[in-house]
Amino acid sequence: MATAPTAAAIDGKYSATSGSNIRSNLRHSQQRPPNTPHTPQHSRGISSFASTSSQGSLRNDEDAIIFEIGSRWLRAGFEGDSTPMCSVGFGPEESRRVGDYRGWARNNSSQAEEKTRQEPVDPDFWASPYELWRMDLRDMDLGLVEDRIERAFRETYNKYLLTDAGTSRLVLVLPSLMPHPLLSSVLSTLFSRWRFPSITLLPGAAMATAAAGLRAALVVDIGWAETTVTGVYEYREIAIKRSTRGMRSLTTAMGRFLSRLARKDNNEAQEGQPAALEAISVDFEYCEDVVNRFAWCRPCGHDEESTGQDEEEPSDPRLVSKKIVSIPSPSTPGLNYIELPFGSLAEPVEQALFAQGLADCVLDDQEKPLHVVVYNTLLALPPDIRGTCMSRIIFVGGGAHIPGIRRRTIQEVQALVDQYGWSPVRGKVVDEQLRKLQDLRLSKQPPPAAQQPEPTHEEKAEEQDFVEQKLRRNNRDKDLKPFVHGMLRDVESLGAWAGASLVTALKVRGLVEIEREKYVQHGLAGASRDLDTHVPDRRSGLRAGDRSSWTLAGWG
Amino acid sequence: MSRPFPYTYISCPCVERPVSDPSRKKETSPRKGSSQPAPEINDNDDEEEEKDFDPRSPRANFSLYPPEQLLYCEDCHQIKCPRCITEEIVCWYCPSCLFETPSSMVRSEGNRCARNCFSCPICTAPLAVSTLENVSGSGSQQGPWVLSCGYCMWTTLDIGIKFDKPTNIRNQLSKMTESSRGRQMSRAYGDLKSPLSPLATAYSTVDGPEVPPDDGKPPADEDPAVLGPDARFAALKAFYRNQLSETSASPNDPLGTDFGAGFSSPGALNRIMSLYTSSTLSGLYGGNSKKSKPKPLMMREAQTASEGLKLAASDAEDTIIQRMASDDCGWEGLASSEQRVFQFPEARFVEDLLPLPTLLRTKRSKRCKSCKHILVKPEFKPQSTRFRIRLIALSYIPLTTIRPLAVSPSSGVTSSTTLLAAPTPDLNALQPLQPIQILLTLKNHMFDPVRVTLGTPSVTPGAVATKVTILCPQFDIGANSDVWDEALQASNPADQRSSRSGLTGGYEKVAEAGKVWDKGRNWTTVVLEVVPGLLERKTGTLNTKEKKDEEDAKDARHARDATSDGGWSDSDENETTPPPGHGLGLETQSSPAPAQPDEDVLEIPVFVRMEWDSENQMEQPVAKGKPEMVKRELAYWMVLGVGRIEY
Repeated sequence: MATAPTAAAIDGKYSATSGSNIRSNLRHSQQRPPNTPHTPQHSRGISSFASTSSQGSLRNDEDAIIFEIGSRWLRAGFEGDSTPMCSVGFGPEESRRVGDYRGWARNNSSQAEEKTRQEPVDPDFWASPYELWRMDLRDMDLGLVEDRIERAFRETYNKYLLTDAGTSRLVLVLPSLMPHPLLSSVLSTLFSRWRFPSITLLPGAAMATAAAGLRAALVVDIGWAETTVTGVYEYREIAIKRSTRGMRSLTTAMGRFLSRLARKDNNEAQEGQPAALEAISVDFEYCEDVVNRFAWCRPCGHDEESTGQDEEEPSDPRLVSKKIVSIPSPSTPGLNYIELPFGSLAEPVEQALFAQGLADCVLDDQEKPLHVVVYNTLLALPPDIRGTCMSRIIFVGGGAHIPGIRRRTIQEVQALVDQYGWSPVRGKVVDEQLRKLQDLRLSKQPPPAAQQPEPTHEEKAEEQDFVEQKLRRNNRDKDLKPFVHGMLRDVESLGAWAGASLVTALKVRGLVEIEREKYVQHGLAGASRDLDTHVPDRRSGLRAGDRSSWTLAGWG
Repeated sequence: MSRPFPYTYISCPCVERPVSDPSRKKETSPRKGSSQPAPEINDNDDEEEEKDFDPRSPRANFSLYPPEQLLYCEDCHQIKCPRCITEEIVCWYCPSCLFETPSSMVRSEGNRCARNCFSCPICTAPLAVSTLENVSGSGSQQGPWVLSCGYCMWTTLDIGIKFDKPTNIRNQLSKMTESSRGRQMSRAYGDLKSPLSPLATAYSTVDGPEVPPDDGKPPADEDPAVLGPDARFAALKAFYRNQLSETSASPNDPLGTDFGAGFSSPGALNRIMSLYTSSTLSGLYGGNSKKSKPKPLMMREAQTASEGLKLAASDAEDTIIQRMASDDCGWEGLASSEQRVFQFPEARFVEDLLPLPTLLRTKRSKRCKSCKHILVKPEFKPQSTRFRIRLIALSYIPLTTIRPLAVSPSSGVTSSTTLLAAPTPDLNALQPLQPIQILLTLKNHMFDPVRVTLGTPSVTPGAVATKVTILCPQFDIGANSDVWDEALQASNPADQRSSRSGLTGGYEKVAEAGKVWDKGRNWTTVVLEVVPGLLERKTGTLNTKEKKDEEDAKDARHARDATSDGGWSDSDENETTPPPGHGLGLETQSSPAPAQPDEDVLEIPVFVRMEWDSENQMEQPVAKGKPEMVKRELAYWMVLGVGRIEY
C-alpha cells in the first residue's frame, strides 16, 4: 500500500497518459503492492540514492533499451515490454549503399537479375550475405561487422525505437559464448559511436529461462549457425553442448531440395559435376520463406511403424504427409506453382536437424543431431539437476517455430533414454555384459537401460518429497504443486528478449555491466578476471557507481 | 546499380578514423583511446595516400553516400555522414495523418499511431476505414466499420473484426484482440489489478480469508495456451515481483547472493541493517545454515498458468501441421516471413495477422559528433518541410557531374555528317577496351576560389581492371560569386557556351593532357580517359574467393596487354573490331552473367583534395576591417559510377 503513491509519482509521466494507452498499462499497472505490509520493494523510490529523483527524469530511471543480437536478426525494444519493437535482419538489402534502392525495384527488374539468381552457388556462400557474423573469425572482416552493427543500431533507433540513441542504458542479450574480438568490436562500436552510459550483457539462455518463469531449464536454442543446448540451473549455465545442425543447415538442405526440384523442372541433367549437384540455384529469400511457411517435422517413428511412439492418431501423420500442397515453383518463383507432397517438406528438416538416415558413428562431434545433443547435455548434468532440467525443456530460436520439432526432439530423447538409460557407455560388449548380468539376476528387472535412472529417480523423489513437504509446511503454501522432475516436458518461453526485458524491468542488475569510462580506458582488457568480486546490488544502498572493477563473467 | 549512370558517391572521411578499440590500442600505444578528435587533414592525407579506396570492398558500401546526403560541419571543416553525427528527436508524428504525438505519449503508444492509421498486414499498404453498407443497409454512416486495403483488397472482415465507430480504431482493436487472444488474458488482467486476487494471496503468509483462490485456477491449468504473450508477460512479471517481495523478507537468503542479488531481496533496509550485523559474504557459502534463519524463503519458479508458466500443449503442433496441410490453407494461407516480422511471434497463418498501426516517424536535429555543432535543425511542426539550420555538404564541396564526351572520329576525318552522328557512348553498355572520354565537371558553391587536386589509381581495383587517366589533375575553380559579376566580367560568354559542347565553330576540341577542358565562372571541366577493362567470363559455376583473386590478377594483366597495343590514342575505328586480346575471355564463357553482381559496373575511385583560403570567421569575429584569411583543406574519396561494361 505504501508504495502505491511512490510508484505513481515515479511513473507520473506514464500514468498521466494512461487513459488511452495500451502498453503502459501493461507495464505499470502491475506495480501492485503485496497485500502484507512490506518494506517498499520498489527500490527506485527509496533505496538507491542515485535515483531518488522520483520524477523519472534522471537518466537512470529511463527505461533501458534491450537489444538481442544474433547472427541473422537483431531484436530491439524497451524494458518492460513483452515483445520487441522490431526485429531487423542482416540481409544484403541492409548492406547496400545509401541511395541504392535496388531492393525496392525488385519487382520490375529485368531478366538479368533473375538470371543471376539462377546461377548455382556454393552453399557456403549462398547464405553468408545474410549473416552478420560467424563465430569463426578467421576470414571475417571485423570492420565490416562493426559497420553493419552501427548501421543496424542507427536505423533501429531512428525507425523503430524513436528515442535518442545513447541516452539510456543498453542491455545486450548475447549468446553466452562469443569470441573476444567480436565482443570487443561490438562494444567498441557502440561505445564509440554513441554515449551509452553503460552496457549490460545478459546471456540468452538464462534469459529464455527467466521468460519461461523457471529457474532451471534445458534451453534448446535452434539458432541460425548452430543449435546450442544449455543446462541452466538457478539461472546459471551448467553445461553447454552445441551442434552445427541449426537453421542454416536446414535452410541449406531446403535449398538443395528445391534446387533439385528446379533442375527436374528444367529437365537439366548435370550429372557430370557433383559440385553442381550440390550447389543451390534457388533464391535464398524464397527458400527461407518456404522454410518459414512449410517446414515441418514428423513425429518420431513415423517411418518405421513398428516403433510407434504411442501417437494419438498414428495414421494421421502419414495421411498428412501424403497430402499435396503447392508452393511457388523453385525455378520460376514468381510465375508458377508446383505441387508436391506435404511430407517431402518434412524431409529436409529431418535430414538437417535429426540426421535421419545417418548412423550415429558417421557423425562428427560437432554435427550431432538435435536429440543426441539434448541427451548428451542432460547426461553431462549432475543427476539432480538433470531431473530438474529434463522436465523443463525450452525451445527457443528460429527452429522452435517449426511445427513438430519439439515433439520430435522429446520423443527421440525419450527413445534414447529408454534404450540406453543415462549412461554414455555403448557397444556390443556392454550390451553383452548387461545381458549377462540380467541373466544372472533373478528378479525381473526391466531392460538394463531403464534400471539406471529409476533408482535415482525414486530416491530423489523421496528425498525431494521430504524436503518439499517440509518446505511447503514452512511456507504454508498449500496450493503449490509438487516439484515436477524426472520426466521430459516441454515448457514454452517468451524468448530471450522478453526474458531480458522482464529481468531488466525488475531492476535486477546483470553480472556484467560495463561502464563507459571503464571500457573506454582499457577495453575488454580492463575486465577483471576475478570472479569473486562482490556482486553489486542495484537495489541495495550500496550503489555500485563506485565499482572499481567489472567483470565479463561468463564471457570472460 | 540502381542509380542511373553516371552517378557519384562520396566516401565520408570518417572511414579513415576507425572505431577505436581501447584494448587493441593499448597494445600498440599507451595513449588514451577515447573518442579522439578528428585528426588534422594533413595526417589524413598521408594515410590515404598509402592505400587506395576500393569501392568494391564490402565495407565501402557503408561509407559511400550520395553527395546530397552528406552534411558539413563548419567547426571541424569536415564532411559529416550519418555515421559521424548524433541525432536528437525534435518531434514525433504519424506519416499518414501528420498528427504530432507528444513525447510523453510516444512510448505508451508503442511508437505507433494511436488514431486510425493502419497498414495492411498482407501488403503493408495503408488501410482505409470504410463502412459495411451491405450489413448496415439503411443507415449509411451508422454501419459497422472495417479497415480495408485498397491495394490487395484485404479487410478486417477476413479476420472477423468489425468496429462500432469509425474513430479511435486503435483502442477498439486492442480491446478486441485482447479478448480474442484469450479469455484468459482479461482474467489475468483482472487478477493482477485486484489486490485480493489469488495471485496475491496464494503466497502471502497469514491472512487472506476472503480469498476466492481456486475458482480461477483449474481452468487456467487446463487451458494455459490461451494466455496471450502480453498477458503471460504481465503474469510473469507479477509473479517475479511477488517472489522478490516474498523472499526479501529474509535479509540474506542463499539464492539472493547467487544471482546478482537482485532476484532476491529488494529489502534494502534490511540489507543495510545486516551490513553491520553479519557479513553478506559469509552468508554466501553455506554460512546461512548456521545462523538460525527462521525461514529461508526461496524464490520458486512459476507453477501455474496464471503465474506465466506455459506448457506446450501436446496437440498444438499437430493441429498446426494439420492446418498447414489442409486444402484451404496452402501457400497463401501461411504468412510470409516479412509479414510475420511485426506480428506476434505465434502468428503463423494469414488469419493470425492483425492490421498494424502506422509507425511514427521523427524529425531529428543533427549534431556533429565530435564538436556538437548543430548541423541540421528542422522546423518543429510535422507539416513543415523547412529547416532552420541545414549545413549540407554540397554547399561546401564541389558538385561533381560527369558525362561522356561524344565519341568522335579522329580529328583528321572531321566532317559535319560524322559530327552529327557522333554517338555518345551508351553508358549501360561500355565496350571493353575501347577508350572513352569523360567530362568531369566540378562546380564550386563556396564564395572562395578553390584549388583542386584529383588523383586516381591508374587501374581501378576489382576484378575488372580499367585504366583511368585524369588528363588534368590539378586545376582551380572560381568562386561562386554573384551571377551578375560574371555577366559583367566575362568577355564573351557566348564563346564559352559553345565551347562547352565540345566544338567551337568548325574545329573540334581535343582533350589535351595537362589542360583544362573547359572553365566557367565557378566550374571547371577536365577530361578523364577511361579504358574499360575486359570482363572475364566465368568458366565454372561456383564463385569462390580464390577464383576471384585469380581472375583479378588475370584481368589486370589482360588490361595491361590490351591497352599497350590497342590504346586509345590510335584507335580509329570504334564500333566493331574487338581489340587484340579480346578473344581470350570469350572461349571460356559458359554462363552469361558475371559472377559477382555489379562486377561489370565501372566505378572509378577519385581522390579529391581541395584547398582554399577562407575568412576565419569562427575564431575572430569581424574585429578588423579585413578578416584574417585561413588556409583550409578538405580531402575525400569520391566514386564515379561511369557505366556498365558490356560483356
